[in-house]
Amino acid sequence: MTSIGTGYDLSASTYSPDGRIFQVEYATKAVENSGTAIGLRVKDGIVLAVERLIHSKLLVPGANRRIQAVDRHIGMATAGLLADGRNVANRAREESSQIRTLWREPPTAVADRLALYAQAYTLYSSVRPFGISTIFGGVDKTGPSLFVVEPSGVCGYHGAAVGKGRQLAKTELEKLKLSELSMREAVIEAARIIYLVHDDNKEKEFELEMSWVGNETGGLHAPVPTDLLAEAEQKAREALETFE
Amino acid sequence: MDHFPTNWGRPRNDMFDAYGTHPIHQRPDNRPKDTFADSVQHTQQPIVTGTSVLAIKYKDGIMMAADNLASYGSLARFKDVQRLHSVGKYTVIGAGGDMSDFQYIQHILEEVQIAEGTHQDGHELGPVEIHEYLSQVMYARRSKMDPLWNSLLIGGFKDGKRFLSYVDLLGTTYSASTLATGFGAYIAQPLLRKAVEGYEDVLTTEQAQNILESCMRVLFYRDARSLDKYQIATITAEGVSITGSLKLQTSWDFAEGIRGYGAQTQ
Amino acid sequence: MFRNTYDSDNTVFSPQGRLHQVEYALEAVKQGSAAVGLRSKTHAILLALKRSTGELASYQQKMFRIDDHVGIAIAGLTSDARVLSNFMRQQAMSERMVFNRPMPVNRLVATIADKAQVNTQEYGRRPYGVGFLVVGQDQSGPHLFEFSPSGNSYEYFAMSIGARSQSAKTYLEKHYKSFEDCTLEELIKHGLHALRETLQQDKELNVNNTSVGIIGPTGRHEKPVSPPSKFRIIEGEPVAVYLQSMDQKEPADGAPVPPTAADEDVQMSG
Repeated sequence: MTSIGTGYDLSASTYSPDGRIFQVEYATKAVENSGTAIGLRVKDGIVLAVERLIHSKLLVPGANRRIQAVDRHIGMATAGLLADGRNVANRAREESSQIRTLWREPPTAVADRLALYAQAYTLYSSVRPFGISTIFGGVDKTGPSLFVVEPSGVCGYHGAAVGKGRQLAKTELEKLKLSELSMREAVIEAARIIYLVHDDNKEKEFELEMSWVGNETGGLHAPVPTDLLAEAEQKAREALETFE
Repeated sequence: MDHFPTNWGRPRNDMFDAYGTHPIHQRPDNRPKDTFADSVQHTQQPIVTGTSVLAIKYKDGIMMAADNLASYGSLARFKDVQRLHSVGKYTVIGAGGDMSDFQYIQHILEEVQIAEGTHQDGHELGPVEIHEYLSQVMYARRSKMDPLWNSLLIGGFKDGKRFLSYVDLLGTTYSASTLATGFGAYIAQPLLRKAVEGYEDVLTTEQAQNILESCMRVLFYRDARSLDKYQIATITAEGVSITGSLKLQTSWDFAEGIRGYGAQTQ
Repeated sequence: MFRNTYDSDNTVFSPQGRLHQVEYALEAVKQGSAAVGLRSKTHAILLALKRSTGELASYQQKMFRIDDHVGIAIAGLTSDARVLSNFMRQQAMSERMVFNRPMPVNRLVATIADKAQVNTQEYGRRPYGVGFLVVGQDQSGPHLFEFSPSGNSYEYFAMSIGARSQSAKTYLEKHYKSFEDCTLEELIKHGLHALRETLQQDKELNVNNTSVGIIGPTGRHEKPVSPPSKFRIIEGEPVAVYLQSMDQKEPADGAPVPPTAADEDVQMSG
């Protein structure tokens, strides 16, 4: 890597001569080492799914969640440094609460505020950028919305993928007609994609974690019910066999 | 620098005022004033008010009643106000006193509920927790000499236990098997005690409803800030339910026989 | 003077996206003597190995009570542990005052994890140099969590931290499935066996260097406690009965245990 040893890559407040901020690029490297997270925006809701890598068999299954709730109707999934994800989630809750107190209605555009927050950490040498990419999903009066907040900025999507397997996941997401899917169908597809991008040979075991917001949940962010999750995992495994 | 010479005043002249009896001219202070420079005013009285709330323990849990009136002084200003409010799956709060303060309380409770929910760990706030929280808020505000002008009843049912307690603008709390706020504390409380105390574990839903209805009727007859439209909340193991507006059946025939008020002399 | 260009402070990512300062802080945890935690359906317990700096010194405290329903065992810098455990106590007390309930254990752990995260992101700070095992009981039963300086916290069936904790982990991984239905006495026995694995070759567990922390109903060898099930630390003579219950150590299969350096007493580490 050409950046190493030049001295232009030691601080987020330093540009390299060709106009890059290497610290931000390194931060995205932290994201690439983590399990994949995807988000699907479909007809009547949002589905979030993450591949939670199990680093020890002593872990309690189902605990240690990586999808977090921001507000009643907003969820977020992070890829990258888990602790940074919690920091951003706490900030998101504060922002959401502020907006709710001001407008006295379920907040919209929380992701925009979070993008400002994340961006502020790319400006100074006294802090490092967040080592995470975050997928925000929520349903509000404007309908379902899906955003990705990265150290470098924010974008709205129909389908999003971050983390190690994002390339393959994006390819799979592009094959879907997302705007025509129901939430239940999206759950099945999301499970299939996570199973697909998981590399059995290289990686540790994983748990599939999913949540959704939309018509199926009365507009509330909630974990996907266990029976549907089990069905989705079953179908994902079957699909994987035919895929190979 | 003050650029207005008229504000500079006249240099002191000892010949003219040797003993300094004339006050030295004070320059007017044109700097922006601190928002609180003229002292801070806190709430001194409620404005739009609700009257009594009644609540009792009965066999299956807690039952609570309040009418739909919000008064502006003695004017019956709003007749469609809900003074019973559910908080989560296990709790109902009923409020007398200032209705805008009550709306604020509803908002902070909503915030607390959301914060609780975002942990996604299965822990939930029950009536005990909500009552403790509210009593801390009420006491903190009265200690700032800026109270939330309400008296609140908190009733709930969680983990097989029913709960009923009171907190008011002073932060005072107490529990009993019958509680009443406002005028109801004088008029309805003795009736409720007579009907409920000792029977908390035998009163049926219907009986409890009848007790509350008859008390609401008495209150409507005697409390000039009350209304014949009211709601009843029940909190049981099955959860919370709040009825739509109910109408009290009343009869004013007796009024014809009353002498001593108004125009009639005999 | 630095081992690496990218390890001088918290605010620098390495080109691989790693935070070296945080990784070094995790090493500080390994300097401390070991602690083991495990849980059953009814109990969550902690066991820790105490060190003393010499004949004349007392043994360094390894366990702290946070609240009636929460206790911790530490490995790493004791002074950092005291800062964090004080903070946990404040949080637990505040929850009792504001909501009149014992603080849910996962949330208590999350508060210090969030505190630790800030120290991995800002210049002029250092990450905490201490790891915790936290046991607690709340409405959802007994729990065991690990907290680490990286700001992460995880819930486990059983876990160990500190010097040579890998050996204890190996033991726990072999047996954790049976913990669920263990009695308190069996659970402590498993814990002691795991803790024994972390000892240097010539050392043994004894009443002076072993602490046991328990949450859950009292066992056969205990007096009743109030409130029932509260966190209690068993040290000194009362530990003897549990030490006696231990089985003989299985003979090591040939390969000598590799000598682990850096286990000599480090100043500030417990």
